[in-house]
Amino acid sequence: MDEQKTKREQSSLNVGKLVRWIAGILLLALIGWRIYQTAFIEGGYGPDTWMRFIIAGLVIGGMYSLIAIGYTLVYGILFMINFAHGEVMMLGAFGGYFMFELFAFIKAPTASDPNMNFLNAYPLLSVLISFIVGAVVSAVAGLLLERIAYRPLRKAPRLVPLISAIGASIFLQNAAQLLFGPQRRQYINPDILWRGTGWSIPVGDTTVLLTYTGTLSLVLSALLMIGLAYVVNKTKLGRSMRAVAENKQAAALMGIDVDDVIGKTFVISGVLAGSAGVMWGIHNGLFNHYVGFLPGIKAFTAAVMGGIGNIPGAMMGGMLLGLLESVGPAALGLDFQLKDVIAFTILVLVLIFRPSGLLGEALSEEKV
Amino acid sequence: MTETVIQTHKLSKIFGGLTAVDKVDLTVPEQAIASIIGPNGAGKTTFFNCVSGFYTPEEGDVLFYGKPIQGNATDKICSMGISRTYQNIRLFSQMTAIENIIVGKHPRLKGTWWEAILHNRRYIQEEEDAVKEALHWLDFVGLAGLGDQLALNLPYGAQRKLEIARALASEPKLLLLDEPTAGMNSQETAEMTAFIKSLRDDLGITILLIEHDMKVVMGISDQITVLDYGTKIAEGKPKEIQANQRVIEAYLGPGAAALSKKFQRKKSHDA
Amino acid sequence: MRTSIKNGIRLGAIVGVVILFFHLTGFSVVASSMLGSLLANVDKGAAMEEIPALNLAVILALMGMIAGGSASKNKQNDKWSNSLVSGAVAGAFAGLLTGIFIFVIGFANFKEIDLRNYLPEIGPDVIDSLLFGGNAAAPYLYLALLTVSGITGAALSKGVIRADWRKKAQADSVQSFKTLTQKPGVQKLFGNKIAMYGFLALAALLLYFLPTQWGSYWNYIMGTVGIYILLGLGLNIIVGLSGQLVLGYVAFFAIGAYTFGLFTAPEPHAIGMNFWLAILFAILAAAATGVLLGLPILSLRGDYLAIVTLGFGEIIRILIKSDMLTDFTNGPSGLSDLTQPKWLGQTFNDVNFFHLIVIFVAIAIFIAGRLQYSRTGRAWLAISADQTVAKATGINTYKYKLLALALGAAFAGLGGALFASRNQFTGPEDHILMVSINVLCLVIVGGMGSIPGVVVGSFVLKGVPELLRDLESYRLLAFGALLVVMMVMRPEGLWPIGRPAMEAAYNQKHPKDSPPEGEVQS
Repeated sequence: MDEQKTKREQSSLNVGKLVRWIAGILLLALIGWRIYQTAFIEGGYGPDTWMRFIIAGLVIGGMYSLIAIGYTLVYGILFMINFAHGEVMMLGAFGGYFMFELFAFIKAPTASDPNMNFLNAYPLLSVLISFIVGAVVSAVAGLLLERIAYRPLRKAPRLVPLISAIGASIFLQNAAQLLFGPQRRQYINPDILWRGTGWSIPVGDTTVLLTYTGTLSLVLSALLMIGLAYVVNKTKLGRSMRAVAENKQAAALMGIDVDDVIGKTFVISGVLAGSAGVMWGIHNGLFNHYVGFLPGIKAFTAAVMGGIGNIPGAMMGGMLLGLLESVGPAALGLDFQLKDVIAFTILVLVLIFRPSGLLGEALSEEKV
Repeated sequence: MTETVIQTHKLSKIFGGLTAVDKVDLTVPEQAIASIIGPNGAGKTTFFNCVSGFYTPEEGDVLFYGKPIQGNATDKICSMGISRTYQNIRLFSQMTAIENIIVGKHPRLKGTWWEAILHNRRYIQEEEDAVKEALHWLDFVGLAGLGDQLALNLPYGAQRKLEIARALASEPKLLLLDEPTAGMNSQETAEMTAFIKSLRDDLGITILLIEHDMKVVMGISDQITVLDYGTKIAEGKPKEIQANQRVIEAYLGPGAAALSKKFQRKKSHDA
Repeated sequence: MRTSIKNGIRLGAIVGVVILFFHLTGFSVVASSMLGSLLANVDKGAAMEEIPALNLAVILALMGMIAGGSASKNKQNDKWSNSLVSGAVAGAFAGLLTGIFIFVIGFANFKEIDLRNYLPEIGPDVIDSLLFGGNAAAPYLYLALLTVSGITGAALSKGVIRADWRKKAQADSVQSFKTLTQKPGVQKLFGNKIAMYGFLALAALLLYFLPTQWGSYWNYIMGTVGIYILLGLGLNIIVGLSGQLVLGYVAFFAIGAYTFGLFTAPEPHAIGMNFWLAILFAILAAAATGVLLGLPILSLRGDYLAIVTLGFGEIIRILIKSDMLTDFTNGPSGLSDLTQPKWLGQTFNDVNFFHLIVIFVAIAIFIAGRLQYSRTGRAWLAISADQTVAKATGINTYKYKLLALALGAAFAGLGGALFASRNQFTGPEDHILMVSINVLCLVIVGGMGSIPGVVVGSFVLKGVPELLRDLESYRLLAFGALLVVMMVMRPEGLWPIGRPAMEAAYNQKHPKDSPPEGEVQS
């Protein structure tokens, strides 16, 4: 039916639209006034603090972007929110953790230090392998998720796979808790990549620290996003993915193995999420089975903000959300406790005022 | 003097760069059976959607008994007296057949939620009457005895009929039928054609029809409007349309008209 | 033959991984110990980890039989040889996987490596037990046991479950059940009003007397089940009937609880309102929240609606807890010493409170039932089936969706207030996301839109875990798995919604008006 293409349902009350407009303008005014207050009147933070916030925001934004791309890829082809995607990231974090522990366990004595372990002897190699393992773990998790919880429900009404995804999310969280224990674990980084060390950059009167871990995360995020863009735009798989996302039936008729492509999409989103998970561990240190929940929801917010189904949108949304979350509480003069509220509020506001996202949705016909 | 039930003036619907319906004028008098035909993609269903309120046209207006209705919400349009069926049957699949029909009667009923809780006399009477009337419609479309079946369990032909029964329950003055005989064999098609005619003859409902089956169209239409690429290329009585060159070319491609003329001449030659 | 082997490997892998999962999460230990109380071979004072080898063997054998039985199902070529082979392969493969695992952890134990840092559930004692008491031949025992039970399972499946004689017997019994229920006498019994009232009277009597007998613990549990039935009925209206997937239902629960709390708690605002009035305010506040939340989000499509409401629920919780609003809400400490209901001067004890809950539940069921089979209920179902068409059929979707939200929220508000009053306390931790998910689970597992389904769902998801106290730590795990399994296998729920047989009822009442049966022209 043609009218299914109109994504926004017509609201029968024009009053509703008017209310929304007025509310939106009032809200913007309120935010603007508050920022003005904090920044200029209440004597805010110096430029070095803002730099710190911005850098922190970019780093975490990179991680959000990676996870957000996963959401957007899956939504683009299956029209469902992969609720368990946060848990996929969590499993990747665990994977990387175990590798770090393994490498720290293996002895690699050198002349200068008989107690040296593999992790510190070959830090870059260890980190690289850990990332790969984390990505693989997440990829496998994503694949299994698709096979068990989503594939049988392809033709079911929207509600059913969503519930299944919620169930899978709860299952994975608790499985991780039972298997590995509820305690927070800490990534023991190699010495050269120790958290809190980095380059000191002079800003104004003081210096701002650009951490090694942060830089690593940001650079890796960028590389992965470039890699993804390459795959999606220049490879046969990417073409197939885009074809399946646009019209499953037509793609199948052209000889594309739709199930295979969907599986590979989950693998790719898993790789990205797993990398983000390992990054999280390296940069933030502490994590447990619950680590995927909040970033998952926030990354979904980011994906929606950029326009669901739209890959550049997800990238942009992630970075933007990271920045807003980092800079927001300070700019609005709110408690840092309310950091998460900012993410949720942005989500609610975007969905109310601009559900098609900032860069516009990239969706096809109703799912087959 | 017969009133004009539905009239469109320069109705246009534009999607981004694509003009799906281009300044179409249409007039349908009371108790007429009017058909809209045209090759695939001509904009017929889009036109329907504009008339029934699913789309708001960019240009032009839709007048129902002289009142402009474009831009109105679909539920308001329904309560004004316009009902429709759908190209790919859209019943309320988890409800029984009879419930589907009673839902069709929704705008004519008045039961509120607190009456539902209190079960006052007026409410109970109204519900009973609704069931009685739904059974009548069920019988009317020939589905008596199937009322308690879940809509999704009914055979295809029955589902089409049920959809029409649902549309009839709101006592419409104008009924829009979108490809009512799609997927039917010749016997079913003949039955449906007779049925549609009886809707007009017995119930006095004005009918606007999208159809691909030319037998049906030519058989019962009082007027036919032909769309191609969103524009109206012909309008008139069945015989006129059949002979219209532009229509033939729209369906069969350029040059077909000349070919058809040749065949006609050859036929009369051989005869 | 090849399919049999493939089937065997597949099932063997699945069951093998499941057994590993059970071992690693400590479930094997817990299950064996529970089995122990059944077989009466576990010392009450003994540590959890010291489980008799027999119990573990029984559990393993059971898994093996499941593996073998499932693997042996061969649609095309259901021969004995195929079945047995797949059973054997399944068991053997599972045995191989688990055997290797047992070997590894046994070795680690032998080398005195403590794995508990990474896998807290497998300490040295546990590993000993999993090795049948530190038996060095354990891996081989696993292999043998699982292979044998695999073959047994396949044999049972082919010989008993899928046997021809059983299929016929099953068909026969179904048939005789059908004929039994269709016998005029039995039909009369079900349709008979007197019988129904009699049944209700019996239920009422039970609900009146049981609470006085079963102690305050069960009063509390059953009361919680009752409150969840209330919540389920409300969410049922929103999700099951009108099809709006709301994931932040706990927000309404919280508004109800906190409205009640703020009006009745001595601090921070000592208003000291009467119980019944406070309940009323709680219901109204929740309903109003439902409408306010609904206004901006009504035009969102399903998935987005879910996330927004989830976000809203979390926002409410964080705000309640925040320092910013502590002056108003008392922050993380919550509200205590809330009013108890009083009637004729006497404060309710736990039995009375239970009765109160039962009365409210009965009223709620009555209201929900009446709504469901009314013009309003039909409108909701139409909206949930196909909103665009529902609108074009004359239904004011906006109004009905808001109505569903308001009514559903009202139920939650009542539930929240009752919950708070019963505990004489409410705090931010009572209003976590898990509550929303719990209620959603019970609605979906019970059957969306179905009132008996909600009752069944409540008992299953709230009552059963109480019976299985030992398995408390696995509750959420089972939850998640249950959701996935239910969606894949039986999305319509345990007691699916049924639509009324209006035509039959009408014909029964007015025999001469009805058209002749079976006259179908299609």
